[in-house]
Amino acid sequence: MPRPQTRTITLTIDGREVDAPENAMLVDAAKHGDVEIPVFCYEPKLGNPVGACRMCLVEIEGIGKLQTGCSTPVKDGMVVHTQTERVKEAQKSVVEFLLINHPLDCPVCDKGGECPLQDISFGWGGGISRFIEPKRHFVKPLELSPKIAIDRERCILCYRCVRFSQEISEDYQLVLLQRGAHSFVSTFDGHPYVAPFSGNIIELCPVGALTSRSYRFRARPWDIEDAGSVCTLCPAQCNVSLTVRDERVMRVLSREHSEVDDGWLCDRGRFAYPALAEGTGSNAGGDPTIEVREGNPAAGNGAVARGVRVGMRVSEPLLRDGGELRPVSWERALEEAAAGLKRAGAKTAALAGGGATNEEGFLLSRLMREALGSSDVDSRPGGALDLQLARELAAPSLQAKVSDLEFAHAVLVLDCEPIVDAPILDLRLRKGVRRHDMKLARASGDDLDALRDTARQLSQQGEELVILWGERFVAGRDGDERARALLDLAAELALGETDGAGLLEIPAASNGRGLRESGVLPNAGPGLSEPEAEGRDAPAIAAALAAGELSAVYLLEVDPLSASDPFAAGASADAGAGAAGNGTGAPAADSPWQDALERASTVVAHATLLSEGIAEHANVIFPAGSYAEKEGTVTHPDGRLQRVRQAVALAGSTRPGWQVIAELSQRLGVDLDVYNEKEASQQLFDAVSFYEGVTLEEIGGRGVRWQERVQAFATAGGGAGGTDSPAETPYSHGYTESAKADIQPTPSPAESEPNHQPYPSAQQHSGADTETHGADTDTEASDRDGPSSDPPGTEQRG
Amino acid sequence: MLLLKDIDEPGLNTLPVYEARGGYAALRKALEMTPADVLSELEASGLRGRGGAGFQMGKKVSFLPQGSMDKYLVCNADESEPGTFKDRELMQKNPHLLIEGIVIASYAAGADRSFIYIRGEYVLQADVLDAALAQAREAGYVGEQILGSDHSLSLVVHRGAGAYICGEETGLLDSLEGKRGNPRLKPPFPANQGLYQGPTLINNVETLSTVPAIMTMGAKQYAELGVQTSTGTKLVSISGHVQRPGNYEIELGIPAREIIYGLAGGPPVGSEIKCWFPGGSSAPVLTPDDLDVPYDFDSLAKAGSMLGSGAIIVVDDSTPIVELALKVAMFYRHESCGKCTPCREGTNWTVKMLQRIDSGEATPMDLDIMASVQDHIIGNCLCVLGDAMAMPIGSMIAKFRDEFEAHIEAARARAGLTLGSVPADEQALLAHGTS
Repeated sequence: MPRPQTRTITLTIDGREVDAPENAMLVDAAKHGDVEIPVFCYEPKLGNPVGACRMCLVEIEGIGKLQTGCSTPVKDGMVVHTQTERVKEAQKSVVEFLLINHPLDCPVCDKGGECPLQDISFGWGGGISRFIEPKRHFVKPLELSPKIAIDRERCILCYRCVRFSQEISEDYQLVLLQRGAHSFVSTFDGHPYVAPFSGNIIELCPVGALTSRSYRFRARPWDIEDAGSVCTLCPAQCNVSLTVRDERVMRVLSREHSEVDDGWLCDRGRFAYPALAEGTGSNAGGDPTIEVREGNPAAGNGAVARGVRVGMRVSEPLLRDGGELRPVSWERALEEAAAGLKRAGAKTAALAGGGATNEEGFLLSRLMREALGSSDVDSRPGGALDLQLARELAAPSLQAKVSDLEFAHAVLVLDCEPIVDAPILDLRLRKGVRRHDMKLARASGDDLDALRDTARQLSQQGEELVILWGERFVAGRDGDERARALLDLAAELALGETDGAGLLEIPAASNGRGLRESGVLPNAGPGLSEPEAEGRDAPAIAAALAAGELSAVYLLEVDPLSASDPFAAGASADAGAGAAGNGTGAPAADSPWQDALERASTVVAHATLLSEGIAEHANVIFPAGSYAEKEGTVTHPDGRLQRVRQAVALAGSTRPGWQVIAELSQRLGVDLDVYNEKEASQQLFDAVSFYEGVTLEEIGGRGVRWQERVQAFATAGGGAGGTDSPAETPYSHGYTESAKADIQPTPSPAESEPNHQPYPSAQQHSGADTETHGADTDTEASDRDGPSSDPPGTEQRG
Repeated sequence: MLLLKDIDEPGLNTLPVYEARGGYAALRKALEMTPADVLSELEASGLRGRGGAGFQMGKKVSFLPQGSMDKYLVCNADESEPGTFKDRELMQKNPHLLIEGIVIASYAAGADRSFIYIRGEYVLQADVLDAALAQAREAGYVGEQILGSDHSLSLVVHRGAGAYICGEETGLLDSLEGKRGNPRLKPPFPANQGLYQGPTLINNVETLSTVPAIMTMGAKQYAELGVQTSTGTKLVSISGHVQRPGNYEIELGIPAREIIYGLAGGPPVGSEIKCWFPGGSSAPVLTPDDLDVPYDFDSLAKAGSMLGSGAIIVVDDSTPIVELALKVAMFYRHESCGKCTPCREGTNWTVKMLQRIDSGEATPMDLDIMASVQDHIIGNCLCVLGDAMAMPIGSMIAKFRDEFEAHIEAARARAGLTLGSVPADEQALLAHGTS
């Protein structure tokens, strides 16, 4: 569907000529001329303006009455006055009217200090009220829901929350009851407003009428700092702004990004943070989906006495000692972990998931491949996908963006449940259907013929078809076959050649795409390059552990026995238990991971919260930072590299994940040559061919889609639907001299070491000799030679 | 007389009587013409909307986009303006006239679905309409291929739940769609995006009931009635302090005095007219000085009021103006939908101030505040409901300020609160905000 085209026009506001997009609403157009027109009810995200608050009245030459700037599209040559006596008088009177029934209890109001009503009263109001009669009264504050408190006296009836419920989340629960000055916001019958996106109305409220019950009275705006980051609780990776007070995250707000979240957050992202930061046991406002269980069946009394229990936040290393988990020093934990891994050597496997960043995944895969000589690393719960198929599925031309979901003629939802797997995309689909007449259908991978039929029918709506598919579509034994079918379908419908059409995969893990691209796959190196050696995928790892073929497992933010972990669901899906929702399926009682972890002699885990499986089976548990405590990059399902920024200090004695992995590697005899977050990121960008040249500054707060950066060579090399020769795909792209120069502005001191080891990223080899390296596997990574056939200009690091 | 011609004929609400009196002949005539010709007749007649705004009906029809799409015709029978009861009589006694008018207008507008949105209180009238509609349907005046032409029309009588705001055309549409009856932002106007987002023609009962007469007598002849910018006849509902209240059909442009004194018999013996609303309670009040103003759209506008729905409410000198103002303000406060700020808060505030005046807790300065509040409402609201209170109240304060002030003083005296008895610091409090 064609995106709206905008033409620039010129209008005059307060005597100044202003260039603005044609048909933009006047309040938006005025911003182009640095003129602020105050608004309450207007919020472009909510759709068409309603013109209810009348705050934005302005004078337009040629029109007798004052007009609402929020609902007047600008036209060329329009002459607008916002500073005339008439306008000022009208705006002043609207403020006066609004304050008539407002309690003016700013000193005890949570909104005080960040309140549009305060700001506008100050900026456009008259300063004094002539109203001396009694105000309207309501009982207050009331629970609108378990998460939200409503103070109806403060409400200025701007309709924003009602419109959100009716037109954005489409849960149709909030309404205005009564009329006139007696109107109030409520659910129709007074039931609690419980909905997947209810928290957004708190942010929408321009006064202190809707407040977060978990944030109420916890801080004032002058106590807090905002820190931008990315929520990694699900693959949607919404941009968030964390409100920090005294090194604690007090609340999570949306940081609008039209290509990611459209300015909304789901309730999980908004309200689950305290549980993540403090554990479910210590915070009543925690996410109720995480079960609180006092005591740990596997831990003895001593452990319980020290507060080690399932659901708690892990903030110091834990070591299983005599069957009980006990807090220990870092030295002890690292020593034990290194010893355990060393004993197992190549018989070690690793899984990554959760909020693990690209850097952590990348370093984990280096640890495994270089220090332990094992390629048994995986981030796909449902098992490996043929590398060539994976590359074709990730072909830049085939990738749909999030905004394509909104403007496409049709979207086919395939084997995923957006509201569960990546909630914020659910809102995007609703927006497409409601505002752009997008057609929506769903299909299942269980019936490929039906899938093809549905897709073909949908393509009749227009050439822009997006297939939104869940990772579980390619999970399990038929994965390759299904992936092939999907690619064939995409080729048939020319999704790769059509702008605005394509495939968008929702991975099972929050950073599934990033971990795969960082090399956390058994059959691919960083950047989906040919691996030195192929290892076992997740189901095979489980089987091998259970069979004793593997003896150790490293779990990076994964607990395959925790109900909410994709690996648990992946295992059951693979066992043929049906397509369980990502993250929702409970592990089957006979989950293969039960046996696997039981038999494993060493289980090393990184965990934020102590979950059931880890509490029962891990030998060493390293505390992992929450996303508010981490620094690193993640990759959005549509290929957008985003930065996770540290907002608060790591809990307790937690150390950054990259540091722990690097330290372990050191103890196992391989120096990963990474001493800070930036170096970890730089190594990643160097290793992944299509991240090359990216800098953290470039990613910044808005992220960078790598497909857009590498489009030039992607269109020249890797075509839609993939090509047979890896040499022509971006995955085997070698460095160019100029790019390389950009990448390494400041060589680390270690680079001058003659025997410094390059990390084994196969894209450093030219495409022609990748195959020969398959056999050249050596468990002693330190013995591996640097590539001999680097393209000219590649900096030799070995 | 056009509309009230046979109004007292027994059984006029039944089809045989209506047909015997020449009913549905206008429809037959119209269906023999092209819709464009019917439309130009309507335009040539100069018929202006009888609901309140007085917009040219033919022009409104011509605003509907051409082409084949779902177009709607909605008859606004939510006669909720205080003092107005003309549509009630029309629908109750001559329902077929309205049905015939709707079918002709829908033919001109190209609409194939129509609704009569009737206020919930009009139970009897709605029943009469339903019965008449059933007869008309059976006789082929409504339905598929009306009278053998290729014009089809469905007509549904929809009963409202009794809200003044649902007489506002967009509020009516929302209510008809099953939503809360809130007015919509205009533009888009209903002619472009109305009911179910389709082009919609909305007209008052009286307007549509006039259409058959125009078809029968011809636009030219109709336009000769009345005055140049206000053609035709108008039903006037006279109520209040007059000797013969009721509905009268007048030719537009006759002096108001002729209606009030001539037709309605003037105020009761011994009393004088204090003020009168020329067009429903939302019209600014006029005084006896204005009685010679010609009763038509433009002359009344020039006199500072409006013809509105044509409901004349006469108030004699036995009525305190403050009580009148309070009654009017309370009505509009009760009926304000609450969507836009000036109306919601302004009506509420005005009532509170008037109550204070009545209870002796006000000072003359409050009159200035009240007047400025009305000024701040007028023209700044989403729909005209706010203006509907602010205009009469504003006019009352302007025209009867002396009486307001006297009322304040008297009420204060009753409450033992003459200015002299108030301590100095409290005086400052009372004057708060007006400095």
